[in-house]
Amino acid sequence: MCMCGTNIAKIVDVEAVAKFISSLPHVELVRTYKYMCSNPGQEMIIQDIIDNNLDRVVVGACSPNMHERTFRGALRKAGLNQYLFEMANIREQCSWVHDDPKEATLKAMSLIQAAVRRVEYHESLESMAVDMCPSTLVIGGGIAGTTAALELADAGNLVYLVEKEDKLGGNVKRVDLTAPYLYSARDLLTERISRISNHKQVHLFLNSKVKNLTGFIGNFTATIESQNGQPENRKTKEVQVGNVIVCTGYKEFDASRVTHYGYGKLPDVITSFELEKMIRAGRIVTKEGKIPQYVAIIHCVGSRSQEFHSYCSRVCCMTALKYAHEIKSANPECYISDIYIDMHAFGKGHEDFYRRSSEAKTLFLMYEKNDRPVIHRAGPKDDCEMLIEVNEKLSGETIEIPADLVILMVGMEAREDASEIAHLVNISQDKDGWFIESHPKLEPVATTTDGIFIAGCCVAPKDIPDTVAQARATAARILAKISKGKIEVDAVYSEVNEELCSGCRLCNKLCPFSAIEFNTEKGRSHIISALCKACGVCVSACPSGAIKGRHFTGQQVLAQIDGLTAAVQYEMP
Amino acid sequence: MAIRVNPRFIDELDRYGAEDVQLCYHCGDCLTVCPHADEVFRFPRKSMRLLQMGLERKIETTLEPWLCYYCGQCSEQCPREADPGETMMSLRRWLIARYDFTGIARAFYRSRTAEVLAIIGVALLTGLFMLFYGFTYGNLHVYDGEGAFLPSSFIHRFDLTVGLVIGIILIINAFRMWYFTMVKGMEIHTPWWLYIKHLYLLPWHFFSQKRYAECESKRETRVFMPWFTHLGLMLGYVIMLVLVMVFIEKLQYGPAIVWPVHIFGYLASIGLIIGTIYFIRSRLNKTYVQFKKSHGTDWVFVILLFFIVITGITQHLLHRTGLYMWANMTYVLHLMFVVPWLLRMPFSKWAHMIYRPLAMYFAAIRRDALYRAEKQFSSASITVK
Repeated sequence: MCMCGTNIAKIVDVEAVAKFISSLPHVELVRTYKYMCSNPGQEMIIQDIIDNNLDRVVVGACSPNMHERTFRGALRKAGLNQYLFEMANIREQCSWVHDDPKEATLKAMSLIQAAVRRVEYHESLESMAVDMCPSTLVIGGGIAGTTAALELADAGNLVYLVEKEDKLGGNVKRVDLTAPYLYSARDLLTERISRISNHKQVHLFLNSKVKNLTGFIGNFTATIESQNGQPENRKTKEVQVGNVIVCTGYKEFDASRVTHYGYGKLPDVITSFELEKMIRAGRIVTKEGKIPQYVAIIHCVGSRSQEFHSYCSRVCCMTALKYAHEIKSANPECYISDIYIDMHAFGKGHEDFYRRSSEAKTLFLMYEKNDRPVIHRAGPKDDCEMLIEVNEKLSGETIEIPADLVILMVGMEAREDASEIAHLVNISQDKDGWFIESHPKLEPVATTTDGIFIAGCCVAPKDIPDTVAQARATAARILAKISKGKIEVDAVYSEVNEELCSGCRLCNKLCPFSAIEFNTEKGRSHIISALCKACGVCVSACPSGAIKGRHFTGQQVLAQIDGLTAAVQYEMP
Repeated sequence: MAIRVNPRFIDELDRYGAEDVQLCYHCGDCLTVCPHADEVFRFPRKSMRLLQMGLERKIETTLEPWLCYYCGQCSEQCPREADPGETMMSLRRWLIARYDFTGIARAFYRSRTAEVLAIIGVALLTGLFMLFYGFTYGNLHVYDGEGAFLPSSFIHRFDLTVGLVIGIILIINAFRMWYFTMVKGMEIHTPWWLYIKHLYLLPWHFFSQKRYAECESKRETRVFMPWFTHLGLMLGYVIMLVLVMVFIEKLQYGPAIVWPVHIFGYLASIGLIIGTIYFIRSRLNKTYVQFKKSHGTDWVFVILLFFIVITGITQHLLHRTGLYMWANMTYVLHLMFVVPWLLRMPFSKWAHMIYRPLAMYFAAIRRDALYRAEKQFSSASITVK
């Protein structure tokens, strides 16, 4: 029993609990110690196992999330199977949340008693290792996909790069210059694309989709369907891969959904991507072919609103400043109004870029989040085509801004086919449709499905540097796995007793990890242990009781419940 | 009703010196540090905003630019180097041009060439006129009394004529200022008696320049030198103006010195010379933040004043030492500086001498009217309950 300094001992009468536990059947030895997780604490456990020839260990301490690995390690060192161990959480679930010493002590007794009863039924389990296929499937050929593919291929591994369109480059190929350093987006892509098309290790599939993906980490089978022109030219190919990178990107928000802006009705209200097209063509003009005198840029179209998307699309602020720069350099006589909610200039070089825009006399105007500007056609006497009415926040005035050309900074949103992809590779989406990472801070490119990685704007809106960093991160994660050659599979998983299985296939659909396959020959379900996360859904669902959750057997769980409900007694000294 | 934004206005103000206003991102530091800003007159930030958006019709109704005495603390504090102090200065220049019905001020501020040419033109005309008069009616070797080259009675009449022209222009412009700020710019009723209640503020601010001294109230180490010199310069200037306009015949009475009048003349000269040299030096060395940027018109102001003082003193010395011919020639030269300078008054920075006390007076009335309106409003809402 651990006192965790005073964390446990200040509420729980540790000595009384120890005395009670030592009275339980099959208990050979009880120890209390100030910090059981410390090296001397672990040494003590190892020594006691050896000296007393112990075959089960229970530690009453903190949460197993914290130190289960530590104590399992101690068991291994003592030559005992690591699964012959149970941990009772008497800190987070007891001493930290209670202030009545008597009740807390009683609860600690119950928790440890439950662990003692459970551990009796623990079995020795061995973890397995499976081979890792060194090839990788990359879905999406934008800046993220091409970067990750090259990183893996340059390390000597085979990459299957699947792109839906007939060209590589994704959304970046629709952009002219990039903010804030004004590098050409085309230059960023060209080098990658030409290298990919000549790379022996990259198998490029254009006009293609991944139709099916089966298997598990290290051993996936992907079916790629390519379409060249006619429907009859459809070809499918099966490939073996060890890991999958999903980098399917985003699509732009449909500006016509914001009725205030009259997009689609007013000819000179255009989206940022339409302006990019003009810039790439070298002429920024109105529909009538005139050079605009007044240009207005409206931020957060579809972003940061209750009605559409609550999130910030991250790239639009700097892109807007880039437009101000590009339009002003194309036509120095032009006046630019930049109508924003907040100016997000968070990245490297962004604040300087913002300042340069101010120096170029961009007129910055601020509107309230849910009080959008409204665009009207100007009258015949006005020297402009349109007037934008807005309650300007910094001055508190209701103003109208002259404009000949209005650029809507459309935000990013998840692609329509994102849910299809999520289903295909078995990952989840958040409320906005973005793919969910395994941990938002510590595992930003991994998913809850082993072997499936995500990068770029399909995870959340981000700029090119962040996307490239993520793409390279996925490659690094995969290369680490490839270099190891094999993958350890946890010994805790569910297994089907084929003799009891009736082949009803109820469990097949229920499994959240797609870990259960059906053997048509035998007419029995089979669990792929490498995919199983031991959630126990199939165990409880199986009408024949044919599925056993290893390390969570009925016996073990019942014994634990018995231990919890058995009477305990304690009188305050 | 929405007000139209004018993005071109910023370019217009550029010529008046507001070069960096667009850098402002409205953190409000300037407002906090300003010793004069309060809840009614929230500057420089608000003025910066109106200027950025080009709301001309709003700006012409504001008094804020006149309430700023340019201590420069806002510009020192500004994290964006948007120079709010200089912006307020530029707005004052723009307002001088806006109040001026002749359009001359606008032309001078927008084009240095126009100003310099006008000054040279007026100077030459003055010189020619004086020489013509002197050689026709007087003797170059006689300075005062019978047969003088430029007799004091003639100069007196000439001065009064010039003064009348300036006075009329200034009165019309001041009236325009009142109309913009107190009629167009007032959304609430202003009772007439408030104008009487606060009338004392006009002479008070005119003679004390008190607000300039208050500029130092928020500083850790206070610098009263600019205020003191400014006051000296201003008082010297006013005394000299009164002497020249009213007592010129006493000043040139004859060889004897009329001390009751002359003592003022000497004192004023000292004030003027010290003040002028101080401001020229400050502008050259950029000692304080308010002297960092000098508009073309600022230089014309101090340089002309400097030459007036120098020629005035030289002329006086030559007269006293009996070198009458040289004294007369210097007199002509002196007038060639004085007349353009005087005529330039309503169209230049000099006009702030009139506009500032007026603004202080109007501001007090406006503030009082606002408080009254607020009080009425709150008592009305109580009765409704």
